Amino acid sequence: MAAAQAIDSGALALARQERRFAWYLLGPSLLLLLITTTAPLVYLGWTSFFRLDMTMPWLSGFAGLDNYGKMLGDPRFMNSLWLTVVYTSSTVCLQILVGLSLAMLVQQIPKGQGLLRIAAILPIVLAPVVVGLFWRTLVLAPDVGLVDLVTRALGLGSQNWLGDPQLALISVIAIHTWQWTPFAFLVFLATLATLPADVYEAARLDRANAWQRFRYLTLPLIRPAIIMVVIMRTMTALSAFAAIFAATGGGPGSSTEILNLYAYRTSFTELNLGYGSSLAMVLLGLTLAVSYVMFKRRKAAK
Amino acid sequence: MKQTIPRQLMLFTAAGLLLTVWAFPVIWGILTSFKTERDVLAYPPVWIFTPTLDNYRAVLSGADSILPNLWSSIVVSSTATLLTMLFAVPAAYAIARLKYPGKQTSGFYVLVTQMLPPVGLVIPYYLVLQRIGGLDTYSGLILIFMTFSLPFAIWLMVSYFEDIPLEMEEAALLDRAGRLRALWYVILPQVRGGIAVTTIFVFLNSWNEFMFSVLLGGNRVRPVTVAMFNFISVEQTQWARLAAAAIVAMAPVILIGLAAQRHIVKGLTVGAVKGGGRR
Repeated sequence: MAAAQAIDSGALALARQERRFAWYLLGPSLLLLLITTTAPLVYLGWTSFFRLDMTMPWLSGFAGLDNYGKMLGDPRFMNSLWLTVVYTSSTVCLQILVGLSLAMLVQQIPKGQGLLRIAAILPIVLAPVVVGLFWRTLVLAPDVGLVDLVTRALGLGSQNWLGDPQLALISVIAIHTWQWTPFAFLVFLATLATLPADVYEAARLDRANAWQRFRYLTLPLIRPAIIMVVIMRTMTALSAFAAIFAATGGGPGSSTEILNLYAYRTSFTELNLGYGSSLAMVLLGLTLAVSYVMFKRRKAAK
Repeated sequence: MKQTIPRQLMLFTAAGLLLTVWAFPVIWGILTSFKTERDVLAYPPVWIFTPTLDNYRAVLSGADSILPNLWSSIVVSSTATLLTMLFAVPAAYAIARLKYPGKQTSGFYVLVTQMLPPVGLVIPYYLVLQRIGGLDTYSGLILIFMTFSLPFAIWLMVSYFEDIPLEMEEAALLDRAGRLRALWYVILPQVRGGIAVTTIFVFLNSWNEFMFSVLLGGNRVRPVTVAMFNFISVEQTQWARLAAAAIVAMAPVILIGLAAQRHIVKGLTVGAVKGGGRR
């Protein structure tokens, strides 16, 4: 009896000690994150209730909900919100579609997958700002860019890929898709390699055709990977900035100005930090809402 | 699987197309960096040209040199990476392996901090750093870099710690000094690979960072990603110079990426299971 008690109190002491050890290890990181992420966001929220315009500093002061009210009547804000939705959904869908098809094709190639993997890693490791500049100059520039060289050779003539509002939006979507599809491709390639071969053999014996095998075997098996890629790519697309900034700067006009760019331009080009803060708050709310929904769905899928 | 010849041909065509789309722009950039400005703008494009090193000379010395910017990038990225790892590894171990109240909440908190939009963070940083004179300083930029690298590093490391077999948990029976020693001598060697992969990812992300650098840096602290814009202006774009500068600026990440390609693929998938990355 006494021995059991001694063990009990010993285990308790150990548990207490483990708890303390855990906080020693975790404490510094949590403190740092609190200071560098949570505190600034509280400050951002606070700033969004102020009029803070560096071009008119004498007008600075508490403004209540004015900044948020202003948004409702701001067509440029509505436009940026819409562009964010278009940009995010189209790039994510394209990455999944192209990445998955490529992975399924490449998976059947017996040799040389290594080379393809190297080619796929190149865009991923490049800085988005460099990718944006690269495309702006070497790929999409009128007359001498790679794309124009092809269209001119095909007799389609030259296009102002980044100067025309509609083409510019397509171009920045293409740039993002170019850079990040390899990520989806590599993840899918790795996932496909882990699928059990015998199940496919059985399906073939049952005369399931290629489409049926894909629909009823592959798709359910790689579902977790797809969900994961969707979550990660959505987060990246929502915080996309550097590539668009480098390629178009949000222009021409505001035709590629997703919410990120609009908040940036308002705050640091037009120096209206109060309104910029409220725009950033909307983006924050949007990001958190989207990730909440996605993680919920992911849990439900498991 | 039976493979007919036309089928194989189709696959290889697809692969070739793939290589062209992804690798060719980069190869084209490398070619451009060895051209004169006149050759760059020639139509039809010149494939055979006399390569020149002028562009590289220009971006590595003289008025347009990006060497100071490379130095800025090296200082900021490596310090931020080192600090991040020092904070992240112990924290990840606690989240992955130890029992304490608030374990789920703290893990979730770290996950949420990873998803915050950078533009939302940069506005308050700018206001605060401006007030305390922290703009254009190394310490300011390094601290801010940790906001995106720390949550990412913690979650990637958590997934590696979770892979260690449970027997290692016997270390839990030691006293506190023993715990630290056990972590250092028994546990950490098990996750050496994970530490290497995480370090690489954190360094890549730091090296490629742009928004924080352009706003919170300045004339003194000016990483290479910002310096790219030296070669591009409304009046004139120096194509070949820009290409050369981009090659020089991206050489470290390309080399690291190629050298660690196997780990990168693993890091992408492993890290992805739980938290995932953000750029």
